[in-house]
Amino acid sequence: MPEEILRVEHISKRFGGVIALDDVSLSIQKGETCCLVGENGSGKSTMIKIISGVYTPDEGEIVINGNSYKKLTPMESIREGIQVIYQDFSLFPNLTVAENIAINQQLASGKQLVNWKQIDQIAAEGLAKINVSLPLDAIVSTLSTADRQLIAITKALLANARIIIMDEPTTALTQKEVMSLFKVINDLKSQGISTLFVSHKLNEVTEIADRTVIFRNGKKVMDQDAKGLNIKAMEYYMTGHEIDTSAIEYGEVREAEPPLMQVEKLNLSHGFFDVSFELKQNEVLGITGLLGSGRTELALALFGELPADSGRILINGKEAPFRSIKDAARHGIGYVPDDRIRQGLFLEQSIHNNIVISIIDKLVNKLRFVNNQAKESVGDRWIDQLDIKTPSGELAVKSLSGGNQQRVVLAKWLASNPKILILNGPTVGVDVGSKAEIHELIRSLAKQGIGILLISDDIPELIQTCHRILLMRAGRIVEEFKRAEITEQILDSELVAATAALGSRK
Amino acid sequence: MKEQTKPQVVNKGLTGFLKAIRLDGQTLLLLGVVIALTIFFAATEKKFLAARSITSMGFQLPEIGILSLAMMITILTGGINLSVNATSNLAAVTAGLFLTRLMPQEIAPELIGVYLAAALLIALLVGLLSGMLNGFLIGYIGVPPILATLATFTFYTGISTGLTKGTTVTGFPDQVAIIGSKSLLGIPIPFIIFVLLTILTYLLLNQTTFGFKTRMLGTNPVASNFSGIDNKAILMRAYIISGILSAITGILIMSRTMSAAYEYGTTTYVLLTILISVLAGVIPGFGKVIDIFIAVITLQILSTGFHMMLAGVRGSSFFKDFAWGILLIVIFVINYFIRARQKQE
Amino acid sequence: MFKKIIRTNEFVIFLILVFLSLAIGVVNPAFYSISTVFDTLRASIVYFIMAFGLLPIVIAGGIDISFVAIAAVTSYATHMFLLGQGYEGGILLYYVIACSMGQLAGLLNGFLVTRFKLPVFDVSLATFTMWYGFNLFFVGATANFQLPKGTVGYYGNFIIKAQDPIVGETGLHVSMLYVLVIGLFIWWFLKYTTIGRGIFAIGGNREVAIRSGFNVTRITLVTFAIMGTLSAVAGVTQAFLSRYFNPVIFITQPLDVLAAIILGGAAITGGSGSVIGTALGVLVIQLINRALILTGIPVEWQRLVVGVILILFTSIPALRNLRAKRIGHTTELTQSE
Repeated sequence: MPEEILRVEHISKRFGGVIALDDVSLSIQKGETCCLVGENGSGKSTMIKIISGVYTPDEGEIVINGNSYKKLTPMESIREGIQVIYQDFSLFPNLTVAENIAINQQLASGKQLVNWKQIDQIAAEGLAKINVSLPLDAIVSTLSTADRQLIAITKALLANARIIIMDEPTTALTQKEVMSLFKVINDLKSQGISTLFVSHKLNEVTEIADRTVIFRNGKKVMDQDAKGLNIKAMEYYMTGHEIDTSAIEYGEVREAEPPLMQVEKLNLSHGFFDVSFELKQNEVLGITGLLGSGRTELALALFGELPADSGRILINGKEAPFRSIKDAARHGIGYVPDDRIRQGLFLEQSIHNNIVISIIDKLVNKLRFVNNQAKESVGDRWIDQLDIKTPSGELAVKSLSGGNQQRVVLAKWLASNPKILILNGPTVGVDVGSKAEIHELIRSLAKQGIGILLISDDIPELIQTCHRILLMRAGRIVEEFKRAEITEQILDSELVAATAALGSRK
Repeated sequence: MKEQTKPQVVNKGLTGFLKAIRLDGQTLLLLGVVIALTIFFAATEKKFLAARSITSMGFQLPEIGILSLAMMITILTGGINLSVNATSNLAAVTAGLFLTRLMPQEIAPELIGVYLAAALLIALLVGLLSGMLNGFLIGYIGVPPILATLATFTFYTGISTGLTKGTTVTGFPDQVAIIGSKSLLGIPIPFIIFVLLTILTYLLLNQTTFGFKTRMLGTNPVASNFSGIDNKAILMRAYIISGILSAITGILIMSRTMSAAYEYGTTTYVLLTILISVLAGVIPGFGKVIDIFIAVITLQILSTGFHMMLAGVRGSSFFKDFAWGILLIVIFVINYFIRARQKQE
Repeated sequence: MFKKIIRTNEFVIFLILVFLSLAIGVVNPAFYSISTVFDTLRASIVYFIMAFGLLPIVIAGGIDISFVAIAAVTSYATHMFLLGQGYEGGILLYYVIACSMGQLAGLLNGFLVTRFKLPVFDVSLATFTMWYGFNLFFVGATANFQLPKGTVGYYGNFIIKAQDPIVGETGLHVSMLYVLVIGLFIWWFLKYTTIGRGIFAIGGNREVAIRSGFNVTRITLVTFAIMGTLSAVAGVTQAFLSRYFNPVIFITQPLDVLAAIILGGAAITGGSGSVIGTALGVLVIQLINRALILTGIPVEWQRLVVGVILILFTSIPALRNLRAKRIGHTTELTQSE
C-alpha cells in the first residue's frame, strides 16, 4: 500500500461569479510524479495556490500527512513539507549560489552572524542531494535559467520538502535542460519525494508522469496511470473535443499574387543562418522551433530591433533594409512581443494611449497638436472591435486581465493598418476563452489581406491558424509543412527529432 | 475623416482646456497649501499682500521656476538633469563675455540692439549645445542620466571657470537690465516670461506628439521602442529643450544681477529644482506643468513670508530652507494618507 | 583565483588609479613623493568616512543626499553648544555628542522612508534642505575658528612623520586610523552579519527579501543609523582637520560622494557595491583633483579636465553595455549548442 502524502477532497473555489475549481479531488502518493495538465484558465494555478495555502477553498478539505485542514495557511503548508517553485524562482540575482541556497537556514537559525564555511557546506550538501554540481561562489544572475531552477529545487529540498510543486518548469528551458530536469525529478522520486509537475506540454508529460490528472474549466476530467496514455487522448480531455481542423474556416491564400514579404538568405551571427521564405497576402505562416532555435531572433530581425548581418528583406518586391523598429513600422510591419508586460504595454498609461501610440503622428490637427477627440474615438473603436472588456478607455491598462491586455497590444498594431503582423507567442498567459477568440481574430485578419507570421511552440495553435509552418532548428529552417499534410503528432515528433539531432551532433 | 474633425477643433480645444484645468489631488493639495500660507502671512504681516512685495516675488521666482521646468521635462522621460544650473551659468558667461570683450566700447546706439540680440542667440545656442551633449550621452551612448549630467555639470562649470578665469563678468550695457528688472504694465517682465514658458511647456508636453511620446517613454522605454518610437531622438529633444530653458534662466539671472559667474547658485539651485518637481508630484511618465507652477509659487510665498516675519533676526533668510524641508515632508505624509484612503475605497 | 580578481570591478578601478599615478608622474616627477601620498590621504579622509556610511543605503537600493547636511548640522551644533558651555577639553566629547545627534537624524530619514513608504531620495532631499536651513537659522550662519584648548594639537597629530624636501615636515594623520577601523567595520558588517546580507538581499530583490523573512524595516533603519553616525564623524573630523567649523560644509558635495561609490562598482539601482571599491573610487576622484595641480594645467581649466575625465569614465561602461545588448539577444542559442 503506497503512502499517501497529500489529498484534497471536493475542493471548490469561486472568484466573484467565476467558478475556478468545481468539486475537485486529488491525491499524491509518496515518491510519485504526478502531472497536472490543463489549458490556461483550467484551474491549475488555483489548485497550486490552495495547496500552498495562498487561497482558502470555499468548500472541501485538505489532508496532508494525515492532518486535515479546512483552512491552510502558507506557514502550515510549508511546515507540512509542501514547496512551490514558481516561474520566477524567488532568488536573489546579486548573491552567490551558496548564499541563495542557504539563506533560509541562516534566517531560520536566528543567528546574527554569518558563518561562510557553514553556508558553503549547507549549499554543497543540498546540491549533492540532487546530484548536481554548480560553482558555489557564482553570482546567480550569471547563470542560465536551468541552473537557477536547480538552485530553487535545492532550496525547496533543504526546507524538508515532501512534495515539490513545479509551475510550468520547462517554459524557458532548452530540450537538453528539460532532460536533465527530468533526471533530477527521478532522483527525487528515488528519495521518496513527490513532484507535482504542472504543464501543458503533452510530450513532456508522457515522458515524466507516473500519473496524469487533467483539468478542464475548473473540473477534473481525467485522473489515471500515465502508462498507455497517448497525446491524442490527453488532448481530447484537455479541450473536450478532438482538434478538428476541418471545422475551421481558413482564408484562401492568393497564390497568384506576388509575395508581400520575401526573405533571402538572412543571417545573424549567433542567431540564425541562411533563412529564406516568402509570405503572401492573406497567409498565416507559422514558425516553430524549440527555445534557442533562433525563432525569436528571426522575429526581432524582421522587426528591425536586431538588424540582420547579411541577406535581403523585400517588401512588395522592393528591398527594405531595416535598421530600426521605426523602419519596420514605416514599411507596415507590426510586432506583438512574447514579453507583453515589458515590451508591449505601458501598464500605468490609459488603454487609449496604449492603442494610439503607433499612429499618434497621424492624430494631429492643423496646428500639429494632438487631436484628443480623434485619439479617443480611435481608441474606443478598437476597444469595441476587439471586444476589450473595460468600463472606460481612460483606465490604466494594468486594470485589465491578461487576455484583454493582449488585445490592447494587438489593437496598437492593427490601428496602424499594417500589411504584415509578426505575432510572437500571442496567447501565452491568456485564458482558454480568449485564446480561441484570438485565434479566430488571427484568421479573420488574414482574410482581410494581412500577412501574418505566427511564432509559437503551441502546436494546436499553429494547426488552427496557419497555412504553412516552418520548423527551425539551431538557427536554420529545416522543414516546411503545408497544413493539409500535418497532424500534431508529426510536428511534435519532428520537434523531438530536432532535439535528438541537436544532441547527437554534439 | 479630416473633414469630420475640422469643425470640432474649437470644441476639442474647449474640452481639452476643461480637462487640463480639471483639479486632481496633487493640484488641489498644492492650491490648498498656497491659500493657507497666503492667509497666514496676510494675517500676520501687513506688508505681505502689498503691491511691492508681490512685485518682488514676481522678480524672484521666475529663475527657479524656469529651471524647474527644465528639470521636469527630463524627469518625465525617466531621467534627471543635474546640469541645468551649470548650463544657465555657462550661457550667461558666454553671452556676458561676448558683450564685454567682443562688443566695441564705443558703439552707435542703434547697433546695441543687434549686439544684444546676438548675445541672446549665443546664450540660446549654448543651451542647445549643452542639451545636445546630454542627449547624446544619455540617448545614444546609454549613460545613466544621473551620472551623465553630473559629469556634464562639472564639464560645463569647468568651461565657465576657464573662460572667466574664476572671476565674475560685469560691465554690460545698461540695456541688458531690461529683461530682468523692468516691468510691463506693472507686471515684472521675468514673470511674464515665466508664464509664457509655462504655457509653452504645457502645450509641448500635453498637446504635441512629442509630449505624448515623452510620457510613454518615461513610463516604459522598452515598450516605447517596441512601439516604433525613436527613443534616442525623443531623449535628445527633451534634453535640448531642458538646455534651452536653462539658458533662458541664465539670461534672466545675468540681466537681473548685471553679472555672470560660473558659480551662481551652485548645487543647491539644482536640488531646489528637484525639490519643486518632487513637491509637484512629477514622476517618470506623469506630472503636470501647472503643479510645477503652483509649487514654485508655494516656495516663494514661504520664503517671502518668513523673510518678512523674521526681519531683523540673524540669518532670517535661511529659515525658508528649513521650512521648505518641513513642507515637503508634510506633503509626503498627507499624500501617504490620501493614497491609503483611496486604496481602502 | 587570479583570473577572478582581474575580472572584478575593483581591479579595473585599481588599474585606473595606477594608470593615473603613472601619467601624472610622467608629467611631473615631483608627484612621486611621500608628501603626495600623505596629502592625498588626508584630503580623502572625510570622503572615505561619508562614502562608507552611505554605501549600505546604496546597496539596499536607495540614493541619499542628506548625509552632508547631517554632517554639517551635527558638527556645527555640537561645537556651538560646547563653546557656549566654555568647554576646553578634548575631541572625544565632540564625537560622542555629534554621533548621537547624527544617529537620530539618520533614523528620522529611516522612519519617514519605512513608515510612509517614501522613496529614499525624496526624503533625503527634504531633510537635506531642512538640516542646512536649521543649522544656518537656529545655530549660526558664520564659520567659527575658536577651538577648545584640548583639541588644538589634533591638527598635527601624525601616526608617522616624514621629511619632505619641498614642504618640510609632513605625516600620516591619526584620523586615517578611524578610516581604517570604520572601513573594516563596514566590510565586516556587510559580509558577516545577517543584517548586512539582508542589505544585499533587499537591493537584489526586495519582494523576495520580504518573502524570505528578512525584517526589511529594521534593516532599513540600521542603514540610516549608520549613515547618520558616520556623517557626524566626518563632519567633526573635517572641522578639526581644517581647524574651523563651517555651517554649510559639504553642501555642494553629496553627488561627488555618490559618484565615488558608483565609480567604485556599486550599481545605482542597488544590490552591489564594496568597501574596497568605494575606497578606490574616493581615491580616484581625489587623485584627479590633486593630479591637475601637479600637471601644470592652469587652475581655472582644471575643472573642465575633471569634467572630460568624468564623461569618459561614465561613457566607457555604457558603451560596453551597448555592445553587450546586441550579443545578449543571441545567447540563448549559444547556450543550447
